Amino acid sequence: MIDRLLFILNETWANLRRNGLMQFAAISTSTVALILLGSVGMMLYKLDSVAQSLPRKFEIEVFAHEDAKREEVVALQQQLQAMPEVALVQLITKEEAWQQEKDALLDQMDLSDLPNPLPDKLIVSTREPEQIAGVSKRIRQEKVVEDVLNQQETLAQVMSISRFIRWTGFSISGLLMLSALVLIYNAIRLTVLSRQTEVRIMSLVGANHRAIRMPFVLEGAVQGGLGGMLASGMVLLGARMISDYTSSAWPFLDQLPGGAPVWSVLASLVALGVLLGGLSASWAAQRFVKI
Amino acid sequence: MVQFQDVSVIYGESFALSRVNLCVEPGEFVFLVGATGAGKSTMLRLMYGDLKPTRGQVMIYGQNITNLKPTGIPKLRRGMGIVPQDYALLPRKNVWENIAYGLRAIGYSQREVHRRVAHALALVGMSSEAKSKPDELSGGEAQRVAIARAIANNAPLLIADEPTANLDPETSWDITLLLQQINLRGATVIVSTHNPAIVDRLKKRVVAMENGEIISDTPSGSYPGEIERARISVATLRR
Repeated sequence: MIDRLLFILNETWANLRRNGLMQFAAISTSTVALILLGSVGMMLYKLDSVAQSLPRKFEIEVFAHEDAKREEVVALQQQLQAMPEVALVQLITKEEAWQQEKDALLDQMDLSDLPNPLPDKLIVSTREPEQIAGVSKRIRQEKVVEDVLNQQETLAQVMSISRFIRWTGFSISGLLMLSALVLIYNAIRLTVLSRQTEVRIMSLVGANHRAIRMPFVLEGAVQGGLGGMLASGMVLLGARMISDYTSSAWPFLDQLPGGAPVWSVLASLVALGVLLGGLSASWAAQRFVKI
Repeated sequence: MVQFQDVSVIYGESFALSRVNLCVEPGEFVFLVGATGAGKSTMLRLMYGDLKPTRGQVMIYGQNITNLKPTGIPKLRRGMGIVPQDYALLPRKNVWENIAYGLRAIGYSQREVHRRVAHALALVGMSSEAKSKPDELSGGEAQRVAIARAIANNAPLLIADEPTANLDPETSWDITLLLQQINLRGATVIVSTHNPAIVDRLKKRVVAMENGEIISDTPSGSYPGEIERARISVATLRR
């Protein structure tokens, strides 16, 4: 058993040493395809995490004009509280909001010297989620109100970006994966052609079909796996560089949930590369290895 | 050991073999003779499962291999040694590695491979050339290596396709004697050839073919009759 395994591994190694240019093309194309796929995956993971982290409460954030008087805001609070659809209205004064912001960013920057840019804010909770849109519309008509945000809109925006990335990213990476598979298929075809005598000898002495075809399948799996390893390294490096840049430029982004765990990126890209490379090679071996 | 029962092979509308009946007993040495296209290679390919008959049955070791599934072919071939006409040696491997390659492909352990390769090389008289590459060998030596690879598995049946093609008469005779030696050690040997000199000289069973049919079957120990001798010569000339 071990001797047969060693033979198959030796043959795989011999295959990999042939057609260097074709091997390089197959590995580099699968690397590029998997980099794109990995990047899209990382972005989607991040966006999903952001979407998941949004409060699921039926809340509307109401921002008053900067020059609105406190009494006007309190009057609005009472007016809203009287609405039958509204469960609760909470006032966050501009002072409280600024203090919360300074506390949150305490580790990253000192905001103590800056003037308070925030307005008074009301957090309105509706009784049912479907009431959010109607209540938001009515609140927007109030003179004292500068802006109205509800999490449904934010969620819709995040999901819209997520959909865009999913479709464009997966389409382009799908096309690249297809070309990587064709290149791996072609690399295996060339290897089979250059090893016809070996295949013939194995066939004549009665080697089983698995022993004859397996080195070619492993060759494709190695090509895909190497592509996956290189891609995961580059995706993680790229993610780290972008993260470092955004952290220094926009520190508040650090409050967002983190990206995908390193091991999961590594494992999934390598596994995907091995799987697709192996499948493509298996197809080529079935077609071109005549036993 | 090898039995053809009313076997026909049809390509399109032409017969490669037509209603062939043949029985080869264990321990026999059989020459298949005939011109190119007579059906010799078709017969050999049927024996090692590289081809299926259109009609009739092929039995090897009493097993009907006519409808053998592709997964059954490796097991069939492990029970025989096949010497291809073009030697099929790997140019980057030396003689020893060439013989070991086949054994390793069918799962023999390192120790067993070592033992069997040494034995096979000694049997074909090529022990001193173990480190040579195929391009350093003469045609006769390359043929010996191909035979060594075929017998290394110690199979009871050896099938050789034109083993003396492209060899000078003296080397052809040496190779024929080597095949006889293997036969005397107990293996059944079936050799296709168009070389009447070695056929006449060895006086083994001769199955002559023409246009996909067996036209004569001369038993071992007897000289082919004048007509058969003429047929073999004509067939050879046609080639």
